[in-house]
Amino acid sequence: MAERETLEVDVLIVGAGPGGLSAALRLAQMQQAKGGEPLSIAVIEKGREAGIHQLSGALLDPSTLHDLIPDFAARGAPLGTPVDNDNIYFLTETGKLRLPITPPPFQNHGNHIISLSSFTKWLAAQVEAEGIDLFWGFPGQHVLYEDAAAPGVERRRVIGVRTGDRGIGKDGKPKGAFEPGADIHAKVTIFADGVRGHLTKQLYSQLEIGIASEPAQFAIGIKELWDIPKDRLKPGTVIHTLGYPLREEEFGGSWLYAMADGHVSIGFVVGLDYKDPLFDPHAAFQHFKRHPFISSILADGQLVRYGAKALPEGGWASQPSLFVDGALIVGDAANFVNSMRLKGIHLAMRSGMLAGETAFDAIRAGDSSSAALKAYKTRVDASPIKTELYPVRNVHQAFGAGLMAGGAYAGIAMLTRGAGLPDLAGHFGHREMKTIADYYGLAKRDILVASNAAPIDRKLTFDKVTGAHYSGTHHDENQPVHLLVQTDVCHSVCGPEYGHPCVRFCPANVYEMVDNGAGGLRLQINASNCVHCKTCDIMDPYGVITWVAPEGGEGPSYDGM
Amino acid sequence: MKIAVCIKQVPTREWQPRLNDAKTWVRDQDVSYEMNEPDAYALEESLRLREKHGGEVVVCSAGPSRVQQVIREALARGADRALHVEDDSLAAADAVTAAAALAAAMAEQKFDLILTGLQSDDQGHAQFGPVLAEKLSIPHSTIIMEVNADPAANSLRVKRELEGGWFQYVTMPLPALLTIQSGINQLRYATLKGIMAAKKKEIAKVAAPAGLASRQSIVQMYAPQKVKQTVMIGGSPAEAAKELVKRLREEARVL
Amino acid sequence: MILVIAEQKDGKLNRASWEAIAAAQQLSGGAMPIKVAVAGQGVSGAAGELAQAAVAEVITVDHAALAHYTPDAFVQVFQQVIAQASPALVFLPHTYQTRDFSPTLATRLDRAIVTDVIAVKGSGSDATFARPMFQGKLTADVKLQGPAPHIATIQIGAFRADQAAKGSAPAPITAAAVTIDESKLRQRAEAPFQEAKQAVDLSQAERIVSVGRGIKSLENIAVAEQLAKAFGAELAASRPICDNGWLPMERQIGSSGQTVAPKLYVALGISGAIQHLVGMKGSRTIVAINKDAEAPIFEVADYGIQGDLFELAPAIIAELQK
Repeated sequence: MAERETLEVDVLIVGAGPGGLSAALRLAQMQQAKGGEPLSIAVIEKGREAGIHQLSGALLDPSTLHDLIPDFAARGAPLGTPVDNDNIYFLTETGKLRLPITPPPFQNHGNHIISLSSFTKWLAAQVEAEGIDLFWGFPGQHVLYEDAAAPGVERRRVIGVRTGDRGIGKDGKPKGAFEPGADIHAKVTIFADGVRGHLTKQLYSQLEIGIASEPAQFAIGIKELWDIPKDRLKPGTVIHTLGYPLREEEFGGSWLYAMADGHVSIGFVVGLDYKDPLFDPHAAFQHFKRHPFISSILADGQLVRYGAKALPEGGWASQPSLFVDGALIVGDAANFVNSMRLKGIHLAMRSGMLAGETAFDAIRAGDSSSAALKAYKTRVDASPIKTELYPVRNVHQAFGAGLMAGGAYAGIAMLTRGAGLPDLAGHFGHREMKTIADYYGLAKRDILVASNAAPIDRKLTFDKVTGAHYSGTHHDENQPVHLLVQTDVCHSVCGPEYGHPCVRFCPANVYEMVDNGAGGLRLQINASNCVHCKTCDIMDPYGVITWVAPEGGEGPSYDGM
Repeated sequence: MKIAVCIKQVPTREWQPRLNDAKTWVRDQDVSYEMNEPDAYALEESLRLREKHGGEVVVCSAGPSRVQQVIREALARGADRALHVEDDSLAAADAVTAAAALAAAMAEQKFDLILTGLQSDDQGHAQFGPVLAEKLSIPHSTIIMEVNADPAANSLRVKRELEGGWFQYVTMPLPALLTIQSGINQLRYATLKGIMAAKKKEIAKVAAPAGLASRQSIVQMYAPQKVKQTVMIGGSPAEAAKELVKRLREEARVL
Repeated sequence: MILVIAEQKDGKLNRASWEAIAAAQQLSGGAMPIKVAVAGQGVSGAAGELAQAAVAEVITVDHAALAHYTPDAFVQVFQQVIAQASPALVFLPHTYQTRDFSPTLATRLDRAIVTDVIAVKGSGSDATFARPMFQGKLTADVKLQGPAPHIATIQIGAFRADQAAKGSAPAPITAAAVTIDESKLRQRAEAPFQEAKQAVDLSQAERIVSVGRGIKSLENIAVAEQLAKAFGAELAASRPICDNGWLPMERQIGSSGQTVAPKLYVALGISGAIQHLVGMKGSRTIVAINKDAEAPIFEVADYGIQGDLFELAPAIIAELQK
């Protein structure tokens, strides 16, 4: 039986997205600037290579990039297509109303339509050039804490992360090449494990880092890459829509970004706090594509790639405690996304930089207690992150009262830069879902048919299984299922109460209710379809689904996303 | 034993590979790369042989600089050092060209045993191994399930797979070359220490020999065309069954 | 002239040899003579069979050193046969055996070789060879350069053995004047043996009956098994069947299972989700049976029957047994 590896480093960064990589790069920069004993730094990432699990629209605000890597152009940063024109439409079922002016948060002049996956790949190359160890295919699985807290110390210190076991069969038994997870001990651990990070989630429950914040809120974003005839849209065209097919009670909208050579990024965002238990976000996306305005853009085009990811929507008020003994939290894991501007990459990078600086100082001072790491929060409060997020801190919460109220609130927030508005309470999105009885009354319904089911023609609209295929997602079938579900709930109350919403909110057909051979239904988990979006971990109304990392190196292949 | 493993970097098992504008290869921009899976089994076999007999395992690869990705991976799993014939022109080289590129550099090394996968997942010529063996004037055998080496006696006895569930043992002297059947062993994982150590292992860069010309050119590539029209067969189950079997016998001739 | 190298084992001709002859006949179009060579020990029976083909000559090499195939012996033999016959092209079936020696032969002769050919276009020596790339997801048209002969191995099943034209009279059989330098034979091969098949290798199956969700329950799998038996086919399944544990994972066809291209693929109650299609759409003849006329499987099928598989399967079995 292979022995468990251990590794000791100064700084461990969990997650090689823009947040984690910016932290690594900043540490290297501090090292060069200040000299001294070289820091040992390790970055672990569940994806098998840089950028492979990265997905976003994306419109990059290059402000942080200018600060982090001033010579980014000379280094060949893949900045894609500069934004040329912004357009916002309100869609009705067949028509559209163009907003005559583009509100400032939606003005993207100076921003770039990029592939986050390609950008992250480039960023990783910059980190690698600094000689920092990047461990691909190593997901963190457990946060490691110091044994038994010392007397008088309230919180336990984070001392690192244990990575996932490799080579375990579906039956839970080791296969031939079994390797137990490695224990990586670090003086400072920086958690950059993304939206609803599964390790940050352990900090939420074990160290109660969310106790003083508004509840984290989320949306699901479903994205496709298309190739359309080259002359149809001017490269740099940015389109956002609101309205159809979403109703007043649903928060969300779409994007469509035109890049060079007829490449188009198109996607749909739905707040994960919708009320209708039979609603299906993926179906809403298909309806959106069928709208005459959109279908005319995609006509004669070809679907190239599909993917989905949750996004943090709770804004400034939902950031958790950003520091604990021995650890810092950056990026989407800390809920640093501007849901009004729909941007989070530059914030992830900025928070990564600040965490890197804080970690460097802490290591040099020989003190990585929360008292020392508090400097990270101080830096964040003094940084463009707060300047940007604070004024719009309640936008999503305002939309909880409906599109009009939310729109009004957002409009005022823009004008007053957040001053003079009441702080709104956030809500746990999954608790907003009503029961079938509450929403539909007692009329009998086929609970396995979505209330907004869309026609699938396999040219413009596709089913989830086809989507999963186009995400390139791949997992070894012979491993334990990585979605932990308390299925007694599925097989008792969920059907009558909510109609098995997991079947609908998962964008990759991971969850299916199938005939149990005894006249009823049982949950079948097609774990290998998973695209690691985290929606199920967020949205299940009973909170009985926990996403853990499958074996390292697996998951979607988001090339170009 | 001084063992060489020839490893190819191939595009990942892309589900819908797309063609470049000239239609002579896949679009470079879309591609991400990985180690050719059959070669991974050859690597695992070579590491096991080293564990058994001592010696070293040397990764040999040809291609542009990006090939270092799979070389590093092999070093991380335990190979000792590497030889990289680096040249951009080898990016989509066919098997014969790749073998020619590596032959001179490998001849110098005087390996006892050379292992490689039985074919590549991208081009699938299944020629590289035997061509390289011939260029090095060493014996070979292909689709090998089991390797038994006796370095002291300079001898090798291998189990070859034949069609239809048949197998055969073949003996030959060392040095020799074998192409390894996929799935014969469990691939070990690279450990953290292995990955870190790989950065310090030697990758000797060698220029490609001059005058490498391929004798095979791709005129065009295309998606396999479905020229078929689906024939829907109607009628009662008995009628449809009769019609189907008739057509399968007489038209499709598959029965 | 096109030289076809046939394959035999223990006096029995490998059927794929006829496919290679058919390929040569198609390319020749009557303009180039075709000769067939066969080597081994005790090959007169195989030679007699080959002489039935519409070919100019059958060339035999019968030698004790060829009792068991070794690459060294076969390369020596065919190097001489080719030197004597001077073909423009050499065709071989793409078998495990030819994969073992044809690249060596090509290198020894310093001539171009293309393997796993699925179609031949053009005529004569200016041929274009089509071959699969990226595990069959794309096809490449390839041209060979350099002096004759050019060598091509033909994918099993790409041409039909029954389309090899027979001659009006048996072709002459000639024993080639070939010497084998046994001191140069480095491999020593023992007698082949059979092992109980441990793993199912669907990629070798000529016919496959594949079952999907439409089968509804574990008990009904027997229906698919019977149909497979009646067809003389291997049994396979789409993902949901294996996920349910109704059939082992080795029988799964699709992006998370095996990719196959048999002569006949019968999809029983399979909807045709893209993950499944990528694993089987290269099959030569596809039969789809499904209740749903809109099922995507019908888009790739050659023959489709919309109906109840529980009625159709027994009816087909009955027909096959007639």
